[in-house]
Amino acid sequence: MKNSEQRDLFPGALEMMILRTLKRQPLHGYALAQHIKRTSNDLLQIEEGSLYPALQRLLKEELVKAEWGISATNRRVRIYKLTALGAKHLVREVSRFERMLKGITRVLTPGES
Amino acid sequence: MNWVKQLFSRRRLYHDLSDEIQEHLEEKIEELVAGGMPRKEAADAARREFGNLTLVREDSREVWRWPSIENIFADVRFGARVLRKNPGFTAIAVLTLAIGIGANTAIFSVLESQLWHPLPFPDSERLVDVHTVLRDNPKQWDVLSSRMFQAWRSQTRSLAGLLGYSYPRNRNLTADGSAERILVMPVTSNFFEVLQVPLVRGRAFLAEEETSGRDRAAIVSYSFWQNRFASDPGLLGKQVLLDGQPYVVAGITSPRLRFEFIEEPAVFVPLAMDSSQVTRNLYAIGRLAPDVTPQQVREELAVIFDRVLKSEGLPLESTAAVANLRETWTQFAAQPLYFFAGAITLVLLIACVNTAGLLLARGLARQREFAVRATLGAGRATLVRQSLIESLLMSLAGGAVGTIFGIWGAGVLAKLLGPDRLPRTAPIALNLSVLAFVLGVSIVSALLLGIAPALFASHVDLNHTLRHAARGLSANRGQLRSRSTLVAVEVALALVLLFGAGLFLSSFVRLQEAPRGFDAPGALTFRVDLHGENYAKPDQMQRYFSILTEQLRSIPGVREVTLGSGLPLTGSENLFGTVNVAGRPPAHKYGTFLTMHAIAPNYFQALHMHLLAGRSLDSHDAEGAARVAVINRNASQELFGHEDPLGKILEFVAQPQRGVLAQAPVQIVGVVENAQEFGANEVPFDDLYVPFSQHPVPSSYVLIDSNLPRGSLLASIRAAASSLDKDQPIFDVQTMDDRITSSVQGARFTMLIVAALAAVALVLVFVGIFGTVAYFVQQRTQEFGIRLALGASPARILRDAIAQSLAIGVVGLAIGVSSALILGRLLRHALYLVPHEHTGMLYGVKIHDPLIMVGACGLLIVVLLFASYIPARRAMRVDPMTALRYE
Repeated sequence: MKNSEQRDLFPGALEMMILRTLKRQPLHGYALAQHIKRTSNDLLQIEEGSLYPALQRLLKEELVKAEWGISATNRRVRIYKLTALGAKHLVREVSRFERMLKGITRVLTPGES
Repeated sequence: MNWVKQLFSRRRLYHDLSDEIQEHLEEKIEELVAGGMPRKEAADAARREFGNLTLVREDSREVWRWPSIENIFADVRFGARVLRKNPGFTAIAVLTLAIGIGANTAIFSVLESQLWHPLPFPDSERLVDVHTVLRDNPKQWDVLSSRMFQAWRSQTRSLAGLLGYSYPRNRNLTADGSAERILVMPVTSNFFEVLQVPLVRGRAFLAEEETSGRDRAAIVSYSFWQNRFASDPGLLGKQVLLDGQPYVVAGITSPRLRFEFIEEPAVFVPLAMDSSQVTRNLYAIGRLAPDVTPQQVREELAVIFDRVLKSEGLPLESTAAVANLRETWTQFAAQPLYFFAGAITLVLLIACVNTAGLLLARGLARQREFAVRATLGAGRATLVRQSLIESLLMSLAGGAVGTIFGIWGAGVLAKLLGPDRLPRTAPIALNLSVLAFVLGVSIVSALLLGIAPALFASHVDLNHTLRHAARGLSANRGQLRSRSTLVAVEVALALVLLFGAGLFLSSFVRLQEAPRGFDAPGALTFRVDLHGENYAKPDQMQRYFSILTEQLRSIPGVREVTLGSGLPLTGSENLFGTVNVAGRPPAHKYGTFLTMHAIAPNYFQALHMHLLAGRSLDSHDAEGAARVAVINRNASQELFGHEDPLGKILEFVAQPQRGVLAQAPVQIVGVVENAQEFGANEVPFDDLYVPFSQHPVPSSYVLIDSNLPRGSLLASIRAAASSLDKDQPIFDVQTMDDRITSSVQGARFTMLIVAALAAVALVLVFVGIFGTVAYFVQQRTQEFGIRLALGASPARILRDAIAQSLAIGVVGLAIGVSSALILGRLLRHALYLVPHEHTGMLYGVKIHDPLIMVGACGLLIVVLLFASYIPARRAMRVDPMTALRYE
């Protein structure tokens, strides 16, 4: 593994966020990046570029699909859409993530469980 | 996953990706510009926020690749380009490796074809050699009697078949009116069946043909049928004469029938179980029944063996032994071959170390390249992989060239070894296992020589390297240490080889100087082996040899002619006797085993053998006279210790199970000095010399001392022998000096091969040290310049430079000396003579001989000094100004 995703995130986190965002609406790369940044209130240090390897992985696993189209600002862009497989994967990943988060929270807040 | 489609659509995928990223950046810039940022600043900001553009592209593409394979292809392409760009370096490295790999390929080809390759029979690894060994000493073979063979053959269940054969012998074949000498091999009726090589024509021998008188059938080998009889199909049923006896041709063997471990016979005849030829010349081969191990066969045959002997009231001195046929017939040659393989592996190691040194040196030159690649995002693993792939490419090229060297070298090696030290006649050829071996060795070499530079490359200190890039090469402690280690290892390996060469050289010299116990310079010897009906009786043999020696004596210029059933250094194989001293309890349970020589009266004088006590044999010891004998010093000690042996009577022990019949006792009249039977490196034999006239034998050596040139003497000998009986050829014609030379031939060969390997090692070490010291000097040019400028004397600088390499050399020598001593300790049993097991490779020299060790160290130090002096002189001549200007 290379330093592809800036390692503030755990593996798969970026993919999960992409899938969640695309579930709301299909987006192209740039918009996707801006949306993730905005919604995370810039708390996550994500290089915009790191989105693309992640998108390629999702494409390869057929969790998303891409089509060239025209954006709202009239640019030629590739718009990514969630596939049925991607939607299922997202549900699974989110529940796994919540379980993990619960576990971590318990450890971090001792005596309250 | 549809990766075939992916493979083809990949170009489009990459293209899309680039477009997409480009659009991303432009959109960002536009947004920033719209927010009021100047365009140029916006472009920078967009880039910054995006991250490492190259890396993102690379990682995104990588998603679509078969990661390892494609990266490796890229690395291979890159590596090949690097190697092509440095043809000089590549040539040296490849050649060094080719020598190492080639030498190993040569020895492997010999080992494979001579020791490991299955014998050329179907399912031949299921064939076992069946023989008998002494219970007290299982390494010592005993005689197999035909009765035992027949009992085994009829009763065994663990063997699918048991065949018997006698060693092939030369006989006269007469067919269509012309005669020639051919090899004839007596075999049992089931011979071709057990080997599973059926005849192409005719029939095999019948069971009833295994009796004398009814054994007049012959089977002709395919090649002899082709060459001698022009593949005449009418040969079957025709009569041929063998030594004048008529035989009817019953069959033709398969062209596939080859033995490899026996000289290929031209004609097979039935082995008559009741004839005298079987007593000392019967060998057996069994084919294991399915799911049976040799051990189980041995147990079964041992039970049968004991039952047969007990039923006849004979002592149980021996037992059955069963071993893989191929191993049985090749093991005598195995030990020296394995030894050479070990020595050659050391040379390969040195070659690898040397090439690793070259790679390291070049690694330095490429430091910046590695640093730049690391900065651009190449991970440590990538750099290591790249480095290993380059060394693999190099060693594969070395392997390819080495294979050519190897084929050539195997031929040379086989020729040098000669048929005596090669157990099989199989051609030494390139085959799949040899190629697999080359591939394996190349990969191992690549790992060996690539690992140091690879690890080094991955430890590049980016900051340091890039900062100093403008200054050219920069000193690096790690580099120095790696190179010093390599040189030390090289010195250590070379010392082991050099010390070994010293041991074998010293051993060879001592072998030649060892007392031989006889002396007959210039004497010519030959052998006659009487055969045929005319020589069945002892007096007929006696008559032939006495007439022959008379005739030879009458040749003008001949000084002395003598006769013996064996001569020194002929490894007398034919006569043995087991004796007890009369009137004493036997020293050994079954008597003392002696080697017997039937000799003419003047034998000791002609061979200048030193008589220690009593008298020699003389012409009065004729057929009807009192039976006398002379023993050698070794036998005297064995039988009598410090007692006087003269006048004592020796009684022969009859051994019906071995076909040894009772003989009249002999009185000891003299003691003679030990004479070498095979060479100096032997356990001296217990010898018993008896008058030829009292013990005539059909096979004997004749020795002639004369002042005639060899050619004319030989012509006269042939004329005399031919006039006496043209059917009895003389053979094994050699001077005694020839026999002495060939008795040390093995030691000479070992010495030469180890010396050659040591010489190659020395050259490689020289190159390695030269390069390393040159590198040190280059590293310290500035330092030397400053010191010279400050007034240091050039001699001092030279001393410093040499001292540095000497220090490394001393460390290497220390490692080498201890490894040589440890190795010697581990190998000491294999290197020295072990009776009945193997002949020694070393003679008269200790495995830790300090003088040779000191000599080897001294020679290496000289090479070390010389190799460092040349480049170090450059240090002395450094011009301070130039050196400092470098800065």
